[in-house]
Amino acid sequence: MTDEALARLQFATTAGFHWLFVMLTLGLAPLIAVMHTRHALGGAPLMERMTRFWGQIYVVNYVLGIVTGLVMEFQFGLAWSGLADYAGNVFGAPLALETIVAFFAESTFLGMWIFGWGKLPKAVHVTLIWLVTLTAYASAYWIMVANGFLQHPVGHEVRGGVARLVDFGAMLTNPNAINALVHAATAALMTGGVFVAGVSSYHFLKRTAEREFFRASLRLGLFVAAPAASVALYYGFVQIPTLVDTQPMKAATLQGHVDDIGSLRVEDVQAQLVQRFGAGDYRPPSWIATAFDVMQDTGYLIFLLVVVALVLLHRDRYLRFRPAAYLMLVAIPLPFVAAFGGWLLREVGRQPWLVYGELTTAAARSPVGSMTASLVLFCGVFLALAVADWALIARYARRGPADTDLGGSPSDGQADRPAASLAL
Amino acid sequence: MTLGPAWPALLGLLLAGYFVLAGLDYGVQMLTPRFGRDDRERRALLNAFGPFFLGNEVWLVVAAGVLFGAFPFLEGRLLPGMYFLFAAILAAIAVGNAAVQLRGHHRGASARRLWDGLIFLGGLVPAAGWGLVTGRLLAGVPLDARNAFSLGPADLVHPFVLLCSATTTAVFVAHGASFLAWRTGGEPGARAARAGRRALLVAAVAAAAVIVAGFLSSARHALVNAWPALVAGVALVVVLLVAAALLRAGHPGRAFCATSCAAALPVVALGAGLHPFALVSSSAPGTGLRLAETMAEAGTLRILAGFAVVLVPLLVISQAWNWWLFRDRAGRTPMHL
Ligand code: HDD
Ligand code: HEM
Ligand code: HEM
Repeated sequence: MTDEALARLQFATTAGFHWLFVMLTLGLAPLIAVMHTRHALGGAPLMERMTRFWGQIYVVNYVLGIVTGLVMEFQFGLAWSGLADYAGNVFGAPLALETIVAFFAESTFLGMWIFGWGKLPKAVHVTLIWLVTLTAYASAYWIMVANGFLQHPVGHEVRGGVARLVDFGAMLTNPNAINALVHAATAALMTGGVFVAGVSSYHFLKRTAEREFFRASLRLGLFVAAPAASVALYYGFVQIPTLVDTQPMKAATLQGHVDDIGSLRVEDVQAQLVQRFGAGDYRPPSWIATAFDVMQDTGYLIFLLVVVALVLLHRDRYLRFRPAAYLMLVAIPLPFVAAFGGWLLREVGRQPWLVYGELTTAAARSPVGSMTASLVLFCGVFLALAVADWALIARYARRGPADTDLGGSPSDGQADRPAASLAL
Repeated sequence: MTLGPAWPALLGLLLAGYFVLAGLDYGVQMLTPRFGRDDRERRALLNAFGPFFLGNEVWLVVAAGVLFGAFPFLEGRLLPGMYFLFAAILAAIAVGNAAVQLRGHHRGASARRLWDGLIFLGGLVPAAGWGLVTGRLLAGVPLDARNAFSLGPADLVHPFVLLCSATTTAVFVAHGASFLAWRTGGEPGARAARAGRRALLVAAVAAAAVIVAGFLSSARHALVNAWPALVAGVALVVVLLVAAALLRAGHPGRAFCATSCAAALPVVALGAGLHPFALVSSSAPGTGLRLAETMAEAGTLRILAGFAVVLVPLLVISQAWNWWLFRDRAGRTPMHL
């Protein structure tokens, strides 16, 4: 593999791992905030147990979101220094704002939420989880603004080979960023709903004792997943005309896979681009159309499943109809598959550009030698940590609410509580 | 309002905050596996920083964000220049951060031992690594005509750079120990205080050796402002000795304040030693990449400043609130890790 391909692969795997975790973070956070609020308002013990159980899974999942995100943030500088040289005045701003506006508060408040059980007044404790949720979506917004700039650079002018920010507002309202944000955020919300519904279904199938608990969880999961899935699908189609306008080559690659592309053809666009930018191959790999199909078809499947499950909720038919529960359980990974197809389409489909129409990926690479060693290092570390993390998530999910540690549950036993010698 | 001169100060503040807060994490991480005599004690030690852990690491994230937003033309030189050093530090932070948070979820003794090893590594590598970064920046980097550079392993094997690394490692260990002495009482607290005193003496010797090596080695020529850097170095030695005396006198809280200053001083030394440069050349003394050249344009800075003026104080307040809420000694703080 060429050094450039290695650098791209390194970014792609880091981003891929990051997304697998943050997608669930984004999906679970609002659900947990709702549970916690209902507990705080009504005092229902069921809602408290739900908050702890799903919160436990959320917290374990969050760990990998953080550590992969940390590496992501440095990847731009490490591997793509040409991006800073060319677009540092423009591209760095949303990233900087993401960290000041969102991450700082998110991490601080999540730490306080985790350790705040039994220590903070209820109102404060609930406010914290809402702040965590809000800042998670704020970070998604800022990162999509940054990514949107790479997809469809707006709000800047180029002088002396360096981009300068002239219209911040245009950058913040970049249609390519906003549509993608709504699409990806609702996809994440749907993921959270499907996850909760799927894990609940596991407990129906196993006929565990916690029927009421998982019945309430299932309902919440489906009530969120169904509308979220509709919006995600709708905004998938909304993105097509934007693509035709802003990235005709990517749109042309999808010719025949979706309507609304018009008469765009890859060869024609290639000829136009050669005329505009000089000789070169401006075609992304054609398999991105397959990635698109995977996303679209999986999306329909999930939507169908969620809607049928919603209908079956009537008179609790769902709880008696085992095939539904079975399908929902195996559906847990589907949103991740669909989203992965989406990102491949978005990112690989942008090639050979790093900043569409302005800076090629090849030109942006840092002058460092081969990245084989660091690629192996990061992949190895992330893979090992991800497997450990998923194993823990699966264990907590399987064992049910009786085995939750978050907030200190009775089953934790005094043995594991603070060492007596340290309690002053 | 671009807040021109305030940006280097803000970056310095964020980096210093990172060194102080994550420095105590790394210190506790290096101490915990051997220092806690049984599993229960190790858990208790980790929970001493539990409520602050997520908030501590994020200072690095924000510092990197501000580096990218306000100093984009430094970021694109610095990170590729020290590629493998940064890659190692980041991988180790990722591993250590995950290990601290995941350890408690495993019940088995062997799994916990494995996590303990990773917790230790995740403290040691960043502690030593940031020392290498600091030392190499002070001693200059091999800049080319475009002010780019690329370090090889040989550039790190330099007495001044290695001693800087030993210093930050020892300072962070001492900082973690004084934190534990302050947060945990009783026998473990006393043990932490003893370990802290030893680490402080080692750190003071290492810091003094850095000053000597700075004078004797090529690092002297690269430093733009030798005197301010020297003052920072001497201050470090003094603060470390003061902290040791405070621990001996049974004032762990004050000792922790002193080690916090010590953890921040490497950042001060960097700023004071290099100003007005961001990177200095190791081969052509007195030349380098000026800080002013690395900053984003006025228009970009103006936008960032608008947000920073409002948000940075809020962020500092929210962290202060966190420390206030969980100011109780460990043991009365809920356990999670
Ligand atoms: C703010 C910018 C940004 C954001 C939010 C993302 N990416 Fe990205 N991605 C890049 C910025 C970027 C990049 C730095 O611009 C890369 C590196 C090389 C390139 O051309 O684009 C890239 C490359 C890249 C590639 C390789 C494309 C190729 O080389 O052919 C893949 C598969 C992904 N990314 C996947 C993702 C996923 C799964 C993300 C969800 C978290 C994601 N990206 C978010
Ligand atoms: C290249 C792009 C990205 C970078 C540089 C990046 C960076 C980061 C960093 C540094 C963190 C950890 C913050 C902390 O310490 O608390 C993080 C977490 C997070 N990121 Fe990203 N990120 C990227 C892409 C994305 C995308 C595309 C999304 C969603 C649309 C996203 C959503 C989140 C969320 C929700 C969190 C916090 C939750 C968690 O850690 O699981 N990020 N990211
Ligand atoms: C419900 C399942 C789906 C999921 C989880 C999903 C997820 C994603 C994600 C995460 C992205 C990348 C970020 C973004 O552009 O928002 C994406 C891109 C995209 N999605 Fe989907 N998607 C789904 C269904 C669909 C459907 C049904 C369509 C309809 C045509 C669609 C059209 C698109 C397009 C065109 C892009 C690329 C946008 C670009 O490159 O700028 N998606 N998807």
